[in-house]
Amino acid sequence: MRAVPLILAALRRLAGSAGLLIGASFIIYMTVRLAPGDAVDAISPMGTPPEVKAQLAAEFGLDRDPVTGYFAWLARSAVGDFGESLVFSPGESVMAVALPAFKRTVLLSGLTLLAALVLGLGLAILLGEPGPRQQVLTAPAYVLTAAPSFVVAVLFAQGMNWFVQAFVEQGGYETPPWFPIPIYSESLMPYVFAGFAMLAGDGLFMDWFNTLRAELLSLKQAQFITAVRAKGARTVGHIARNLVVPVLSGFSARLPLVLGSVVIVEYIFTLDGAGYVLLEASRARDFPMVVGLSVLFTATIIVVSLIADLVRALIDPREVARGG
Amino acid sequence: MGGKGQTLALRISGGIVAIVLLLGVIAPFIGYDPVADVDYEAQLLGPSWAHVFGTDGQGRDVAIRLVKGTEAFFLPGLLAAAIAVIGGALAGAVAGYLQGIGRSVVLGGLQLLDTLPRLVFIILLCTIMNPSITLIAGVAGLLFVPAIATVIRRKVEALGSEDYILAHVAHGFSPARILLYHILWLQCRPLLIRQATFVFGYVLFVETALSYLGDYGVQEPSPSWGNMVAQTRDLAGQAPWPWLFPALAIVVTIAAFLSFGNLLARRDEEAIR
Amino acid sequence: MTAPLLSVRGLVIEFDTAQGRRRVVDGISFELGEGEVLGILGESGSGKTVSTLAVMGLVEGNPGVVGGEVTLRNGAESLALFEGLEGVIKRRAGKPDRKNVRRWQRMVSRRMRPLWGEMMTAVFQNPRHSLDPLLTIGVQVEESIALAERSLDRAGRRARAVEWLDRVQMSDPERVYRSYAHELSGGMCQRAMIAVALARAPRILVADEPTTGLDTTVRAEIVGLFEDLLADRRRSMLYISHDIREVLHLSDRVIVMRHGRIVEEATAEDLRAGRGERDPYTASLLAAAELGEAL
Repeated sequence: MRAVPLILAALRRLAGSAGLLIGASFIIYMTVRLAPGDAVDAISPMGTPPEVKAQLAAEFGLDRDPVTGYFAWLARSAVGDFGESLVFSPGESVMAVALPAFKRTVLLSGLTLLAALVLGLGLAILLGEPGPRQQVLTAPAYVLTAAPSFVVAVLFAQGMNWFVQAFVEQGGYETPPWFPIPIYSESLMPYVFAGFAMLAGDGLFMDWFNTLRAELLSLKQAQFITAVRAKGARTVGHIARNLVVPVLSGFSARLPLVLGSVVIVEYIFTLDGAGYVLLEASRARDFPMVVGLSVLFTATIIVVSLIADLVRALIDPREVARGG
Repeated sequence: MGGKGQTLALRISGGIVAIVLLLGVIAPFIGYDPVADVDYEAQLLGPSWAHVFGTDGQGRDVAIRLVKGTEAFFLPGLLAAAIAVIGGALAGAVAGYLQGIGRSVVLGGLQLLDTLPRLVFIILLCTIMNPSITLIAGVAGLLFVPAIATVIRRKVEALGSEDYILAHVAHGFSPARILLYHILWLQCRPLLIRQATFVFGYVLFVETALSYLGDYGVQEPSPSWGNMVAQTRDLAGQAPWPWLFPALAIVVTIAAFLSFGNLLARRDEEAIR
Repeated sequence: MTAPLLSVRGLVIEFDTAQGRRRVVDGISFELGEGEVLGILGESGSGKTVSTLAVMGLVEGNPGVVGGEVTLRNGAESLALFEGLEGVIKRRAGKPDRKNVRRWQRMVSRRMRPLWGEMMTAVFQNPRHSLDPLLTIGVQVEESIALAERSLDRAGRRARAVEWLDRVQMSDPERVYRSYAHELSGGMCQRAMIAVALARAPRILVADEPTTGLDTTVRAEIVGLFEDLLADRRRSMLYISHDIREVLHLSDRVIVMRHGRIVEEATAEDLRAGRGERDPYTASLLAAAELGEAL
């Protein structure tokens, strides 16, 4: 029946993702080995005591040739042991610091992408096919959203400060008692602004919206939708189901972009997510931390695209048949 | 659709692109000493005839720093666009042309490169070796190879079954000639134009972002649009001139490059059809 | 013959193209009686497909139908599909305004909605693109059955769906029931599409070039299938094709279209027998068909 090819396809994807993970970790490891001069000196912060240097060299297998060094490092990393933080949070294990921060980052990026999906889809349905008037409207929108996320974030951060000074600190904003979540919360506010900065920046939203609108339009004009209409059935279910596949692809394709912009946006809003930790660790040359986070970021992209692939294979029978 | 509006948009974006490229070319020949320009008598002045875009926190002229700042991304951007387009076009053409194991190997390599989160990888690179902007741009170009290769491969695969390409094969043209001239040059030119402008825009983004962060990229006192924007941190409420104009320059330049690439590609596509 | 099921009067359809306004259907009129098969014959671009889409209220594009009337008779009621059309289309500088075109297309679609499927449904060319790629054939046949026979439960619908797949001469209906469109050949997809359409039990079936793009033997099978399924004359059919032999084989009456006009209307019998005076275009089509047979 259908289950066997599906399971085979899933296993093939799983193996492919494992291969990607190994390959990507190899690239990251080799980048470390590219360090000029004495690798240990190059990667350790100034004034690192010799015994820590020795430990670093052992952790990254710098005392061996690249290939055996890589496997030694891989064996430790595979069980989540990326060594100890040197500067950012001295003495603590990298994972203990990175994981909670990373969770916040994934939440922020995921919610941002989700918001982009909801807003984009809503607008695409509302606006329908592009007419001449909308082209006039989208041109300035295009210019605005071509702004890099960090410029948008800088502006938004200014705006947030102004907002807080002008309203919140004057007591102008209070959450009505019936409203379940606080409208203004000191800890939530930067996340909301950061999310919108990522949404608006790098053309993320505009690009997503254009893709969704084009997909929706081509689906509406698809012959099988006309056939469904002609037999008097509702087209909504058919359109929605067929939209899931491009939406999933779009979601996983945009994740690397979002995980890039989140780094800078977190830094600008000083949110203690993985991006902020990454940049702070990088400035302090806290090497184990930076490598551990790089692997985490990469692994997330691989795992999410694997999940997207699997769900797509469940929904779209042609994916399994294609097998690629 | 919208022929007139499109031509106008093409002219405007093309004009901005031309100005930025021109500035990039002449900037190295402008003598500018950022230290000598410091003038504590003239801090944070608004726009005037003497200082068209005002002055920054140390009394330096924003306009000249904007012009000089193009140096930071101009050549690196061109380099990255060249690496990405040439590498992507070749890899895509080869992957589309090959069958079996060779194809799988090329595709696997491209996919591998594609999973690396670009900015995170660049930061990793910065942590290890404190690279120059040129090296960073080269790596960025390399990281864009898979994206371009995928577009080109699809096109090559689609064209591979077209009758006229088969006819070329039947006429005995060499595969290299068909791939490079008939497919890549004649058919994929619009795609490559679009991607090249995109990569250039990305390098501008990376350079300004890293310079904004301060530890990598262009270091003060040398000007970069990115480290000019970074002055918000110290001057937040005081005067918008020092950072507003660089921020605008970044946004407008990236937008102009993106839409110029898109519009040019669209016009080229229409011409091909 | 009693009052016709469908009557078309002076239908005019225009589209805006890069080269300006083009009139693709120029005032055609025809009727379709109960239990009748009307063949519409014409080369590509003659306006035959777009006129039949207009009959179903499915014409999209700008501006589309600009004049004429389509009347559908459902029992004692009759529905004028384009009633009030002139009032809705506002002209600006002689051209229909885009917004108003959308408004009347919505109006037509609202009028037609209760009649789609019930009154008429369609099968198209490119059968593979007519089926939802993400659903099994069985689910899509059942969707029609659920609308046509509301009293059936799940098991009943399933049995009826397999029955329909059997009636369209699928060799293994159970397997096809579980299959997706991409797993079937073009001919099988068209059979599946016919099952989806007929399971809806429409009074009129519109077949828009249903054999185009299929292999010769498969085409003959599909034409034979239509013949069998309509043998009881309980429903009517509009059969659109550019192949005169198919049209002559299936239809009671034939209209021939060229450049958006009807150039010929005759019974299939007269055409086959070569009786009466013919339009030169029809004559050339007939001659070509004879040549084909002689080969």
